[in-house]
Amino acid sequence: MSKTPLPLRVLWNAFYWTYERASWQYDVMVIAILAFVWLTPPEWLKDPMASGGGPIGWLIDALK
Amino acid sequence: MTFTGLIGRICMFPLRLIIDACVRLRIHPNTLTFIGVLINFAAASALALGKFVTAGVIMVVANIFDFIDGKVANESNAVSAFGAFWDSVIDRFSDISLFIGLIFLYATLDRRDYVMVSALAMMFAIMTSYTRARAESLIKKCKVGFMERPERIVLFMIGAFTNRMAAVLWVILILSIFTVADRIILTYRELRDTGEAIA
Repeated sequence: MSKTPLPLRVLWNAFYWTYERASWQYDVMVIAILAFVWLTPPEWLKDPMASGGGPIGWLIDALK
Repeated sequence: MTFTGLIGRICMFPLRLIIDACVRLRIHPNTLTFIGVLINFAAASALALGKFVTAGVIMVVANIFDFIDGKVANESNAVSAFGAFWDSVIDRFSDISLFIGLIFLYATLDRRDYVMVSALAMMFAIMTSYTRARAESLIKKCKVGFMERPERIVLFMIGAFTNRMAAVLWVILILSIFTVADRIILTYRELRDTGEAIA
């Protein structure tokens, strides 16, 4: 595993999760999840309850 | 200190007061567990009606009971094998009820796609617990994978309060699949390394 390229090692470690809660790796994962949940436009996921573009949608609209 | 560690410490302060009150009032931890599941049923009903913020508030209350039962058991010297069994069985009812609430909601909205996403997320959430319980009857410890119950509960609350339940369900589904796979991989490796028959 030590000879595996860094990006692959990062991906493997994210998939095969062995880190404790409240470690810095856990923080990174939490931030990535919150970013996905809050930034992904509900329209992209065809969310039955939420509507609109969300923060990314607003940004795209502003740039148009 | 990490960001999630800080949040944990802040949340622990009011919980500490509730735990102390329960110990002083001599409330049995199994009763707390049972009250927790009843409140979770109410949260599931609110989810089924699409009242996400109400469901979020009820989930916070329910999970206070869920969280403190073990601590109260420790501090009131009421730890028992049956208590551990009762807690894990009741937790499954709580988990499943929330998913059923969402399945009912999406079925009412005629959204078969999200009925399937919710049902699959429920299946892998249950398998997350089952794989660990079954693995630990064969190997010493099987605590790998990110998406355990506390993560799931917090995500449900975030989804409810911010009306982003669809995104939350996708996260729970994908990471629960990984968690189940992690537990299968770990169990296979441990059994292989100890020379147990794996074929």
